[in-house]
Amino acid sequence: MTHPLPDATIAALYEREWARVLGTITHLTRDLELAEDATQDAFIAAIDSWPQSGIPTQPVAWLIATAKRKAIDRLRRQTTLQRKLPLLIVPDTTHDDDPTDGDDVIPDETLRLIFTCCHPALAPDARVALTLRLITGIPTADIATLFLVSEPTMAARLTRAKRKIQIAGIPYRVPPKAEMPARLPAVLQVIFLLFTNGHGARRGPEFVRPTHIHHAERLARMLVALLPDDAEATALLALIVLAEARRPARHDADGELILLPDQDRRRWNHALIAEGLARTRRALVLSAGDPGPYALEAAIAALHTEASSYDATDWEQVVSLYNMMMDRAPSPLIALSRAVALGERDGPAVMLTEVDRLADDPALHAYAALHIARGDALAGLGRVTEASVAFEAALATSQNAQEIRSIQRRLARLPRSS
Amino acid sequence: MKYMLMIYDPADYWDATEDEQTADYEQQVSFSAWLREQGITFIGEALQSPTTSTTLRTRDGETTITDGPFIELKEVLGGFYLFDAPDLDAAIAIAKRCPAANIELRPVWE
Repeated sequence: MTHPLPDATIAALYEREWARVLGTITHLTRDLELAEDATQDAFIAAIDSWPQSGIPTQPVAWLIATAKRKAIDRLRRQTTLQRKLPLLIVPDTTHDDDPTDGDDVIPDETLRLIFTCCHPALAPDARVALTLRLITGIPTADIATLFLVSEPTMAARLTRAKRKIQIAGIPYRVPPKAEMPARLPAVLQVIFLLFTNGHGARRGPEFVRPTHIHHAERLARMLVALLPDDAEATALLALIVLAEARRPARHDADGELILLPDQDRRRWNHALIAEGLARTRRALVLSAGDPGPYALEAAIAALHTEASSYDATDWEQVVSLYNMMMDRAPSPLIALSRAVALGERDGPAVMLTEVDRLADDPALHAYAALHIARGDALAGLGRVTEASVAFEAALATSQNAQEIRSIQRRLARLPRSS
Repeated sequence: MKYMLMIYDPADYWDATEDEQTADYEQQVSFSAWLREQGITFIGEALQSPTTSTTLRTRDGETTITDGPFIELKEVLGGFYLFDAPDLDAAIAIAKRCPAANIELRPVWE
């Protein structure tokens, strides 16, 4: 008897449960590379056998059991069998310090993975990339794109980091509270990247990847439960919650992307907005007059959600928050967002000047958002022919199907002649 | 796991006065005492100045012997400990107790 192909189910499980399976196997084997291979094997086994056998009643338990078996198979083929097999039978729990000090939050395997990958003994450029690779299972090629390096470079970086964890004996655990500050920035960055990648995946057919956002939200909530008085962790959660609140309005009935100016604000999730605003306020209080990058991001998101309409946004405040961000940690992307906010405050001519100043930045040149902003400014000035050239440039750089359609709609809306 | 804790000192460290060297030595003695109290298995030695080093290079079966260290550096290996620790975090915690400004920790091939 055959069952309908559960490919979609397996893909969804891969996105959602990859980290849990990998984390569990890493916990048992204390060997990241082996655990990664065994987890991969387990998903392949699911693809091979589920179409015949049907989906197990407990698919995650099935995947973990299979991955464990695959790990043992792999170990048998290695000479290290004698040394490691006992760990598979009796998990080593000697270093499982309880970082929550009696809190009711039990950090799950994913959080353990993240903190291990963000160990200060690893190269900074490897920490975030490795964490993303291990907790999402997204291909090395995609991670290379995200970090603007070639795939072989990224593959070498990941391998080096995994070897170091193994050989140098970096423990697999959530560190005690005293050691957290050194690891927190990288951990926050991973969650933030997961969230931005979920919201604006630059490759592939969908602009929003809800699974990545859910991972990010779940991890941010766990982090805030671990560190309730940390301003930046609180701010990051606020930012994610506010974005989640707006998600119902981000798509029309056909699943097409609706950008912030055109969103029906009644479709926003008002319970989440209330939570997001409260967390933003708390983050700003905790940061005691010296807001970090996530507190500033959250404050901007809060201003957008508080406005009754796009035009009613307090652009003056938004611009000054972007100015603060540029003072603290300038980046081409923040500069671009600031240019758009300036345009909303002072009109399309100012926006065009600002965007043109950024156009030579190589990091932005390959970025469709730059060309879209330029096209919007030109269209606002009635310079239709130039606007269409800018939108065409955006089309040439975008790798995301939904973004491409959103640019095509902009092109279609331009008046026929100038 | 076994780790090698390497202490790096400025190359002119050995020019220090006898009093300074004695003070340093006593700090290391009390660190060793602490290691013993913790029940940590270790060995440790302080090295003489790299100006007293001899370098051997063997090429095609031919060994050349020269005076001085392998590479001239501003900071050089001045001493080491070899100890057992359950993982890198435990090794770092031990290294933090070691009275030295520059330390490199390396796992030993096992």
